[in-house]
Amino acid sequence: MDKRLYQAWESCVKCGICRSVCPVFKEEKSEPYVARGHITLLSEFIKGNIDFKEETAKDYLYKCLLCTTCVESCPNNSETDTIVEITRHEVIKRHGLPMYKKVLSKLLKNRKLMDFAFKSATTFSPLFVKEINNPRKGINLRISLSEIERNRTLPPLSKKTFLDKYGSNKNRAEIAIFPGCLINYTYIEIGDAFIDILNKLKIDFTVPKKQLCCGAPIYFAGNFEDTRYLAEKNIELFLNLDVEKIIILEPTCASMIKIDYPKLFMYFEDKKWEEKARKVAEKIIDPISYLYNLANIKERLRKLDIKTTYHDPCHLKRALKVKDEPRYFLKAITNYNEMKEADRCCGNGGTFSIDYRDVSLKIASRKVKNIVDSKAEYLVTTCSACLMQLTDILHLENKDNIKTVHLLEILNEALEV
Amino acid sequence: MNAKRKAYDMLKKKLKNKCLTDTLSRIQYAYDATQKMYPPDIVILAEDTNDVALTIKIANKYKIPVVPRGWGSGFTGGTLNVDGGICLSLEKMDKVIELDLENMMIWVEAGMVNWDLQGYVKPYGLFFPPDPSSWKFSTIGGNIAENAGGPRAVKYGVMKDWVKGLELVLANGSVITVGSKNIKDVAGYDLVDLIVGSEGTLAIVTKALLKLHPLPEAKKTMQIVFDNMREAAVMVNKILLSGVIPVAIEFVDKFAIKTVKDATGVDLPDADAILIIEVDGNKAEVELQTQKIEQLAKDNKSVISFSIAKNAEEEEKVWFARRTISPTLKRIANDKLNEDIVIPRSKLAEMIERLEKISKKYDLSIVNFGHAGDGNIHVNIMYHTDSADETKRANRAMEEVFDECIKLGGSITGEHGVGITKQDFLEKQLGRTQVELLRRIKKAFDPNNIINPHKMRL
Ligand SMILES: Cc1cc2nc3c(=O)[nH]c(=O)nc-3n(C[C@H](O)[C@H](O)[C@H](O)COP(=O)(O)OP(=O)(O)OC[C@H]3O[C@@H](n4cnc5c(N)ncnc54)[C@H](O)[C@@H]3O)c2cc1C
Ligand code: SF4
Ligand code: SF4
Repeated sequence: MDKRLYQAWESCVKCGICRSVCPVFKEEKSEPYVARGHITLLSEFIKGNIDFKEETAKDYLYKCLLCTTCVESCPNNSETDTIVEITRHEVIKRHGLPMYKKVLSKLLKNRKLMDFAFKSATTFSPLFVKEINNPRKGINLRISLSEIERNRTLPPLSKKTFLDKYGSNKNRAEIAIFPGCLINYTYIEIGDAFIDILNKLKIDFTVPKKQLCCGAPIYFAGNFEDTRYLAEKNIELFLNLDVEKIIILEPTCASMIKIDYPKLFMYFEDKKWEEKARKVAEKIIDPISYLYNLANIKERLRKLDIKTTYHDPCHLKRALKVKDEPRYFLKAITNYNEMKEADRCCGNGGTFSIDYRDVSLKIASRKVKNIVDSKAEYLVTTCSACLMQLTDILHLENKDNIKTVHLLEILNEALEV
Repeated sequence: MNAKRKAYDMLKKKLKNKCLTDTLSRIQYAYDATQKMYPPDIVILAEDTNDVALTIKIANKYKIPVVPRGWGSGFTGGTLNVDGGICLSLEKMDKVIELDLENMMIWVEAGMVNWDLQGYVKPYGLFFPPDPSSWKFSTIGGNIAENAGGPRAVKYGVMKDWVKGLELVLANGSVITVGSKNIKDVAGYDLVDLIVGSEGTLAIVTKALLKLHPLPEAKKTMQIVFDNMREAAVMVNKILLSGVIPVAIEFVDKFAIKTVKDATGVDLPDADAILIIEVDGNKAEVELQTQKIEQLAKDNKSVISFSIAKNAEEEEKVWFARRTISPTLKRIANDKLNEDIVIPRSKLAEMIERLEKISKKYDLSIVNFGHAGDGNIHVNIMYHTDSADETKRANRAMEEVFDECIKLGGSITGEHGVGITKQDFLEKQLGRTQVELLRRIKKAFDPNNIINPHKMRL
């Protein structure tokens, strides 16, 4: 492992500040579920003072949202997310990959297999899902499928993926688009909105057909080897494109590719690929900042007479440091009211919301009062995972009158042809 | 060993999943902000006074050490299980028991976090004055045990000035309440005052009765920048002599200014020292106090600039910089000897000069900041642990700091306590007779020496 990564844990002074901000700790109130606890375990594990397997240490390893709220408040910038990911990986390295993780990585590494899985699900979906319309279009399962509970609102499934619709082999364009799996398979309408915007602005784009999942789900689960495979494939693809910018629609995928890819190669002490990853990183930007920087968009937005509030996705605000741009747009075109603690994590955290649904919902629930108090009719965000989680909690708490939308959908609505 | 096994079996039987015994949990309850590690044998996550009493009873029967624990933000190792045994965590006991608005007092459980208490009473127009920099991540129990204080101590005092009563679990497991809501109460020795600052070595605090204070109508934060540290120290006394009693007068020396700037990017002036001053009261009082301080600043040639925070945001910025110094020091060197000496206020300037001399003599960075208003200086001697020579010099420098401090009539600790990190210096400070007396008091409370033993050399 590259020595530069050591700073992530060697910098911790065990002051305990992270206890005052960690959303999981707030619910669990116990040291294993806070940055300081995670960091201590890892350094002891790496030093060889202790050993543990995934089964025995599951909660210690996985009850963390990787939301980086602690990193933001830590006076020493101790990167708990990096630490937790590395620990998860080290444990797998020492004790092997559990079966379910093998299956998942097989799926993500092969686009056809993944398409097949989602499309079969779509074909059979009427049998086991019930559609809902509010707070936004989604589905409830009629039966409990593995860990996913019946009362959970999931995004709708669709027959045609985003890549089916727009994917191409075109190499040269002003910008390239990487939708991310959630938009590719489920929230396609968000991707559509962005394409609409680009067409209205007459921006030449390409959606490289060969792109693979960024690898975030398996990277967060500690499977660095297979992530490396995906990273190399995507980096090659991106480096071969002749484009100004690469727009990554999902903040999680964007921060994965921009920030975690270089870190991954640092971990493998692979200077050559780290270099390449950093080159790609320079071109990466989220769609909102991209639009914000365009000269010709602002005066073409008409005012919408709706009341909105905004939820900051962790990866957009804390990883990519984008917080003012979404607010700029919402203030300019809607009746915007900032909710309290807008940047409090929604509690989704990827598989966290499946493994620890109870804690995840408690964390989400803390947002509901602030959302309601803001008097918004529309809860706006910029991440599909947050959208899914917030839709779920609002539906569960009978707040269907508040609609959940992606900022790109609002911008598309407001943008004159 | 056998006794331990029996005790732990019994605890597990009675307290079930409130006991943690796996290696990982034990490691995660092994440390505090001293960064030292002493894993306990078992962790008890107590949920109420009964859980605490039961744990203590069993510990006493089998003569096993019990170490009370709040949020583990202590700076002197008070909550470390240096001799194994039981870690008795009170972090789950965080509820308000009774808010008595008429008497302006509140009963809370010991595991409540200071900041949460502030949030709870604020809607009633009240606040709890003790404000250690760690208020967002330390408990009332820990604050009581260490007699914690913060910047506001100049005007409002420290924990002991605000604790009116305590529910205690004694070493034999019995539960008593000491103190009362009476403003005056002289029946018997004042056990409340004895427990406050006892570092968890006499009894376990399970609940506390605290005084509250009405929120002031207005407050103002000022910042005075100096090209000379000594002048800053002198200014502190001038302000107080002028009749103004600020809520807080904090100082930051040039090394501290640099670390915070580097670490947080906060915009701070390059200077030899900064004083941060807060005043409160009704609007007219605040105006008058501010004017007086501004005049004093204008009259002083060493003052580079004087500024008043215009809004809450600017205020927070000033205080954020001050609060963040301590944990950012790691950027200078990988370890520090962190002492919170206190000296009579009049000797502040002299002490600062002596510290500079010590820094030169041992060729080590010494970063100083703290509560100038009450003479409490956080002295941080920075050194690299991989250099044996530096480590040795740092230890010598620290001894000299203590010697100089005691010579000036000061004390080796103003708020962090003695714990294990300062235990070797306690006798130097108090003398043998006094330490012996402390030992006898400890024995009277805890004949089997089970409550947080091996601390303060007691
Ligand atoms: C960044 C930082 C800044 C700080 N700033 C300040 C400051 O400005 N002022 C200040 O005074 N301190 C400060 N401290 C030190 C520390 O926060 C205080 O000593 C605080 O009171 C400790 O509270 P805790 O809940 O973390 O206690 P812990 O660290 O868990 O325990 C501290 C001691 O209290 C005992 N204890 C805890 N709970 C109980 C109980 N219920 N009954 C009996 N004994 C108990 C423990 O046994 C131990 O001896 C700071 C620490 C840090 C890391
Ligand atoms: S992670 Fe940061 S905030 Fe938490 S204990 Fe370590 S240094 Fe303090
Ligand atoms: S990343 Fe989030 S959940 Fe994990 S320790 Fe930090 S604040 Fe807590």
